[in-house]
Amino acid sequence: MSGTHREDRLVAGFAALAIAIHILEAAFPSPLPGIKPGLANVITLIVYLRHGLRLAIWVAGMRILVGSLLVGTFLSPTFLLSATGAVAAMLALTLVGTIGGRQVGAVGLSVVSALAHMSGQITVAYLLFIPHPALLKLVPVLLSASLTFGVVSGLIAASVLQILSRRAGEAE
Amino acid sequence: MADPGPETASGNPAPARPLIRAGDILILLLAAGLVGATFGAFWGPRGQGEMALVSVNRQPAFELMLDQDKTVDIQGRIGTSTIMVDGGRVRFLDSPCPGRYCVHSGWLQQSGEVAACLPNGIVVEVIGGEREYDAINL
Repeated sequence: MSGTHREDRLVAGFAALAIAIHILEAAFPSPLPGIKPGLANVITLIVYLRHGLRLAIWVAGMRILVGSLLVGTFLSPTFLLSATGAVAAMLALTLVGTIGGRQVGAVGLSVVSALAHMSGQITVAYLLFIPHPALLKLVPVLLSASLTFGVVSGLIAASVLQILSRRAGEAE
Repeated sequence: MADPGPETASGNPAPARPLIRAGDILILLLAAGLVGATFGAFWGPRGQGEMALVSVNRQPAFELMLDQDKTVDIQGRIGTSTIMVDGGRVRFLDSPCPGRYCVHSGWLQQSGEVAACLPNGIVVEVIGGEREYDAINL
């Protein structure tokens, strides 16, 4: 049972971090609607790489639920988009993480999940909210942005992981 | 729930954790290629028309291939309209109507685009290729 308690605390702590980042990000105005850095996913990545998929899903799920409650978008179209993006990102993360194994680090996973996140959102936005060809004209811009931010988040996650593992090495 | 679950990388101390790994670079290249391809797919020439259908007095008169540059004069109700095809586009170059709305319609390129000189009874419509919507109601 102690393992469960430890995990609970891990999930709670990481989710709190992710929620804080999520809300900070929501406070900043975005230059373009639909584009935001998604730095909260740094936390998801770190949890995935250090503690596995199950905890990562917990943390991401908590972040979306609590984050949307606090920002005030719970069950709104934004929430649906956010959730779809997260599910798509998780699927991509799992797929690439399983296939790539140790060859793929935080940067690759981050890029893949960022692109999956954006693609999932665009698909839902197009099918449910704005079935207009003009939306598709935005696809290259949106994907470029998510590629850029995916690399940035990945590099941040990779450096944090580096620091964490160095700490762990020193402690031993 | 006693099982701590899959500990991907935390259990055994990795000797070195490079910021970017081989797989990352491969993914980056693939992703950049994919994103680049979306520019071509979504911003490329879509619905490019193949020919221009010219109608005179509501009767389809003749078709102009858009890949052959040429300028034609057409006799309409009140005079001669000049239609020009250039580089896959078509436009009214001149028309004897007072408002010259047809001329100011400019170049037509996408399938479905229309310019009309109503006083002279001449309509030019781009046809063929993939037709774009001209209006959508939700």
